[in-house]
Amino acid sequence: MKRRHWVRLDNVSNIFPAARSDVDPKVFRLGAELDHEVDPSLLQDALEETFERFPLYHAVLRRGVFWHYLQDSELQPEVMAETEQVCAPLYQADRRTLLFRVVHHRRRVSLEVFHALSDGTGALWFLTDLLTAYTRRRFPGEAPAGREVAEQVRPGASERPDPPPAQIGTHPGAQAAEEVHELTTDSFAHYFRGRRRRRAPSSHEEDFTREAAPAVLTVEEADPPEDVPAAEQDEVPPAPRPPRRRTHRVRGTRTPDNRTRALELSMPAAPVLGLAKAEGVALTMYLTALFFEAIRRTDEGALACSTMAASVPVNLRQFFPSTSARNFFATIRVEHTFGEGDDSPGAVARGLQEAFSAEATPEALERRLHRLIRVERWPLARIVPRPVKDAMLSMINHVNNRSLTVAISNLGRVTLPAPAQSHVGRMQFHVSAVRPQFCAISHDGQLTIGFTSPFVETAHVREYARLLTAAGVEVSLAASRTTEEELAGVDA
Amino acid sequence: MTTCTSCSLQVEGEWEHCPLCGGALHGRAAPSPYPAVPLRFSRRRVLRVLMLSSLGVIVLSFLAQLLFRHDAESLGALRSVWLGIVATWLVVLMAVSKRRNLAKFIVYLVVAAGGVSVYWDFLTQWSGWSLTYVFPILCSASIFGLLITVRLIRMELADYVVYSGLTVLLGLTPIVFLSLGWVGVALPSVICGALSIAVVVLLLTLRGGAVRHELATRLHL
Repeated sequence: MKRRHWVRLDNVSNIFPAARSDVDPKVFRLGAELDHEVDPSLLQDALEETFERFPLYHAVLRRGVFWHYLQDSELQPEVMAETEQVCAPLYQADRRTLLFRVVHHRRRVSLEVFHALSDGTGALWFLTDLLTAYTRRRFPGEAPAGREVAEQVRPGASERPDPPPAQIGTHPGAQAAEEVHELTTDSFAHYFRGRRRRRAPSSHEEDFTREAAPAVLTVEEADPPEDVPAAEQDEVPPAPRPPRRRTHRVRGTRTPDNRTRALELSMPAAPVLGLAKAEGVALTMYLTALFFEAIRRTDEGALACSTMAASVPVNLRQFFPSTSARNFFATIRVEHTFGEGDDSPGAVARGLQEAFSAEATPEALERRLHRLIRVERWPLARIVPRPVKDAMLSMINHVNNRSLTVAISNLGRVTLPAPAQSHVGRMQFHVSAVRPQFCAISHDGQLTIGFTSPFVETAHVREYARLLTAAGVEVSLAASRTTEEELAGVDA
Repeated sequence: MTTCTSCSLQVEGEWEHCPLCGGALHGRAAPSPYPAVPLRFSRRRVLRVLMLSSLGVIVLSFLAQLLFRHDAESLGALRSVWLGIVATWLVVLMAVSKRRNLAKFIVYLVVAAGGVSVYWDFLTQWSGWSLTYVFPILCSASIFGLLITVRLIRMELADYVVYSGLTVLLGLTPIVFLSLGWVGVALPSVICGALSIAVVVLLLTLRGGAVRHELATRLHL
């Protein structure tokens, strides 16, 4: 009789099954464009190899009385030709399916992940390994020596080296496990104290339990909240919240079958970086300011003095070393009120940057992290039955949504290990959304901005593209067909 | 790639008009990196509406019974037909919505059918037939049904262990009714109770560890 290992879903991840809806299935997609048509059978082999090394991805999501939990499974993933819309639903209650899929279409490979499983950075590790394994098979002559690959660094978590490639050891899973184990043993033992199984589980099960642990609880030197000296708290008094103005929200016509409207703009990264630098701001905030401007130009509802707000996720691994591929981010809300001064994109970006920088300091984030851990351990949050918890989280999510105009996410510049680096061109990043959203990712000198929205309207993307082209950037557009008119007369 | 002059950008894919501004495109089209996915209208949404409206009709039907007097003359056979149809409908709905987990369905079935029969008994001048006969027979049958089901569809233990536990617990309730003196004839309740106890003992001796593991998983705080 097999006892499946399981780990409960942390509070951050709990929001995803709770806030999931027909419109927003809480799925995100990371893709890569290769320099040749994808070979499905090699991709399948590569997927199997990568899957072995990511125990977390074996998980299925299940519902307990008090928590959702991730349970180990014996399901095997299969690569599929892309036949569904971008960010098609993955998790369905009562159906035990893997929480990710790998699809290919022409020269593209895409990884879609249910957000409760992992965040963008965690998924990028998986995609990186998948692409490396694939290109190693496709171009065997170019495969670097094993040592070289082992020295590659996971983007976003500089502490964690890549597990060595499968060819080196006889048991790839065991090899990788050894590597990782040393790094995380302490924090994990800390969490699972007193809950050890009597019989030693096999290596895969151990891997699963470790890899699936909530990320907040794997942070190495996360002090308990009460250890924060009182004096330090006094030094930084919480800034008095300005009276919250009504935030402008974009409205539109829902897509016919609730699919995510996905478009992408690709451009060379250097000129856009130059534009941001000329304004003295980071790329993310510059792109956000352009987004506000694009919405202001298109939306008649956006009056001269309305406030626009964006939520920006921050990868907490940058500040708190964690090797967890689970969700580990905090979101920072930045806003700008138009009609109160300089409204040029550059000025807006500087304002946003200032607000963002104040929030994105290690100290401020540490306070957030402690708050997250406190919520995680809060007794009352534990004994509330799951359906009530879901309803509460869904309500919180709804209230949060009301104070946001857009959401953005920037995975930054990705560097892949050889031989993937030389065979992958543009990369793509899309997130299913209840409001207009953009996700940026850059690779090989190409910046791709993926726009998603629950509405059919594309005017804000048009204005966005025009803002960029007016500044002299060469932009190209790719779009998935969404409306009946667009799909009419096209062979599926 | 084609070019849209009004947006001054290049467009990938075989578009006749610019997806952003609807303007004409010039140049030779390149294949789109996205497949054209035909529209799918959600059957799920239709089913959900049907399910909810059915549930509404069922609940209203049950409540409507209270408007009539409890003696046989007021409605007579009509009540039996009405309640029979509504109860069957309820069972069909449950079977459809719980089709992915038959063990769970059996638990729901026992609770719903037991509840309906007790209500039915109450509507027809309480004579205790529901607790004396229907409930114990239903519970015993469900235990057998569960045993057969898990064999037939080769269910994994982790998937049915909680529900078989619940079924057995339900099977013990006739003993409680018996001790409270709500039951006319003792034999059905005694048989049902004995069967349940036997199954509990079997389950705990043969699969005790699995039961504990599964309960710890699901009830984890």
